[in-house]
Amino acid sequence: MWRLLLLAAAAGGVRVGAPGALLVATRSPRSALRLDWRRLLSPAPAGAVWIEPRDSVLHASAVVFTKVFESREAGGAAAELFYPPYDLSRFSWGSVNGTLNRTALTAEFRGGPAGEPGGGFANGSLAFRVTAYEADGRDGALPRLLHTANSSKVEFVLAGVAPRGNGSRFVLEVATVEEAGAARRLRSARSIDDEYTPTIFETLSLAAEAPGAVLSFLQWKATAYGSRSPRREDGIRCRAHELHAANCSLPPSAIVRGYFGDRPAGACSVSALNISFGGEDGDVYQEKRYLSWSALLGFGQPPADSFSPLVVAIVAVALGTPAALLLLGGLAVLLARRRRYSEYEPIN
Amino acid sequence: MCFLGFGSYFCYDNPAALQTQVQADMKVNTAQFMALYAWYSWPNVVLCFFGGFLIDRVFGIRLGTVIFSIFVCVGQVIFAVGALINAFWLMEAGRFVFGIGGESLAVAQNTYAVSWFKGKELNLVFGLQLSMARIGSTVNMNIMGWVYSRVQHLLGHTGHSALGLTLMIGGTTCLFSLACALILAYLDKRAEKLLCKEQGKTGEVIKLTDVKDFSLSLWLIFVICVCYYAAVFPFIGLGKVFFIEKFKFSSQEASAINSIVYIISAPLSPVFGLLVDKVGKNIIWVLCAVVTTLASHIMLAFTFWNPWVAMCLLGVAYSLLACALWPMVAFVVPEHQLGTAYGFMQSIQNLGLAIIAIAAGMILDTRGYLFLEVFFSACVCLSLIAVVMLYFVNHLTGGDLNWSAKKREKMQKVTATEAEEQERLRRQNEDDLAKLLPKADDFSLRNRYLSKLGAQVLPDNYSSYLSTMAHRSMLK
Repeated sequence: MWRLLLLAAAAGGVRVGAPGALLVATRSPRSALRLDWRRLLSPAPAGAVWIEPRDSVLHASAVVFTKVFESREAGGAAAELFYPPYDLSRFSWGSVNGTLNRTALTAEFRGGPAGEPGGGFANGSLAFRVTAYEADGRDGALPRLLHTANSSKVEFVLAGVAPRGNGSRFVLEVATVEEAGAARRLRSARSIDDEYTPTIFETLSLAAEAPGAVLSFLQWKATAYGSRSPRREDGIRCRAHELHAANCSLPPSAIVRGYFGDRPAGACSVSALNISFGGEDGDVYQEKRYLSWSALLGFGQPPADSFSPLVVAIVAVALGTPAALLLLGGLAVLLARRRRYSEYEPIN
Repeated sequence: MCFLGFGSYFCYDNPAALQTQVQADMKVNTAQFMALYAWYSWPNVVLCFFGGFLIDRVFGIRLGTVIFSIFVCVGQVIFAVGALINAFWLMEAGRFVFGIGGESLAVAQNTYAVSWFKGKELNLVFGLQLSMARIGSTVNMNIMGWVYSRVQHLLGHTGHSALGLTLMIGGTTCLFSLACALILAYLDKRAEKLLCKEQGKTGEVIKLTDVKDFSLSLWLIFVICVCYYAAVFPFIGLGKVFFIEKFKFSSQEASAINSIVYIISAPLSPVFGLLVDKVGKNIIWVLCAVVTTLASHIMLAFTFWNPWVAMCLLGVAYSLLACALWPMVAFVVPEHQLGTAYGFMQSIQNLGLAIIAIAAGMILDTRGYLFLEVFFSACVCLSLIAVVMLYFVNHLTGGDLNWSAKKREKMQKVTATEAEEQERLRRQNEDDLAKLLPKADDFSLRNRYLSKLGAQVLPDNYSSYLSTMAHRSMLK
């Protein structure tokens, strides 16, 4: 079965709404993606994206990054003070031609609020860095996500954006769209293994599940990093809040509306999730003005970490050697005793 | 005397209690954080040999204790000042100075105890001193976090100045210890005058050339000591954040569980000491302790089970090992080498702690907690290998490390009666020999000379011959 993945952005000053990803799985290796660009860029993009042949589609879902909130603790009884959010559907994005790297299979979509040169984005930008994978493997840089050929990495990067208060927290709103028959669930897996992401024991995944199978997922480790070449001490706390079902219309992304727009109302379910970065020790961003959060988008069961061979080897040797020594020593003592007794000759 | 060590033990674990704050305020990674512990251990690699010498020959117990207490205070103050002015190198220097005073102060404390209580309730005093030390560590773990939050509230912001102020407040316990040292010196001087008591001495004789005479059993004991303590103290140093990150404990709960090892060892040490004294079989107890510690580390590494269980086991094992391992040195080493052996053991223990502390920090930064726990488990396994080897070496060479207490007493009685018997025979032989050989002292020489001359040597009533002679003259 061929699987197609599409990431949306805009070129120049034309807005195509919030950045998002459309995941479509088909049963035929010869299916193709078709785009009607004129309709896509028009105010009514429904039906602008489709797969040919239409009946080869197994399932489709979408993940859209809609807003970025900024909040800080108000102190006292009030929970939090929210600043006006950055609406990603009103951002304008730079050209992707300069950032497209065909050998490393990466591309970066960088943007800022359209028509607002001042404010927090005066010296900063918001970017989504995308990496496609051809084979199974593990990233070199933290958080060292394990990936398969059926997945791609999306990195949300805030660079140089000035926080509007002391100790601000940033919250990214993620909206998901499923067809009827699939349900989106937020799963948190705690594992004892933090070898690849030191001190992070939790992996979260937002999985589109049908009865009996996981169709597609967005998976991430519960951490973000505050540096371009991250180390453990650059960790920024990342927390996922509850997944809410949204009863409103499709998220403001042209591609999502283009694909799902021509369905009858109720044929798709929309959910939304807030992912917050920073917290009590929100100083990391304050100081370094860099935030990078990586997530894996893919089809099928999300990949799971396992122990590295080094750990297994060390445990085997460490536990095996005393046991072997005990056995050998016991044998040696028995032999020594036997030899001593065998020197005696029976009397009769 | 008990409070003498309180300040030193309280401030030793200050970094562990404030790990998150130190790392956040001074912007250091875990390897640099653990350097604070390493710098405490470095001077003690060398000082263990000289502590006894300094107290006996150079300073005397009173002055020595005061000097070491001053080092502890000054070290803690430098540590706090380093935090206040945001210079991490100064904090490390402070820990170095603190280390110079800390371990030697423990030697001085023990010397005071022996000097005042020898032949009386010495074991009880040692137990009380150890308990006070452990109470100091426990109090530190549990309140320093709270002190920091109050200081932060007072100053209105976090940062290195809050950390510095908190450490200064912690340093007041060192001033308290210094006061105790001064009072003790005064009391000891008074006792010397009133009771005509000599100044206490450690009585240690350190001869480094004795090291080549150490037996294989002793080297195995050294390996057990180094590998075991290297898997316990650095773990406690990093434990608080481990419990916060992996088990999602709150800061207070994490501090409490980190201090449980010390809380448990305070009452259990005297109990285990009594047990090991009564039952003997030291190697078996060491084996039990090491296996329990291994189980505890494996539980913490590979499961999410409630860590209270694992930490309580660790506390029990730690107390048991201390009571069973250190006396073994006295069984394998002749008395005149005992000082050297203990000094060497402490020296390499500190060396191991210093190196492993930094290694643990580096492992945590690059590989995470699972790998760190696997590393500690491997250290404990190394210790276990040494215990197993020690058991077999001891068994095959007919050594006496694993005798039960009854057997040891019997053997001691047998050797004592044998020694008496030998002594008696020897004296008898000497007497017999002396009777046969002519005596060479002045009196007998004069007698022999005079009797050769025929002069009267003995008084009349001693010589029957002379009285006979007197009779004869009367007959003429």
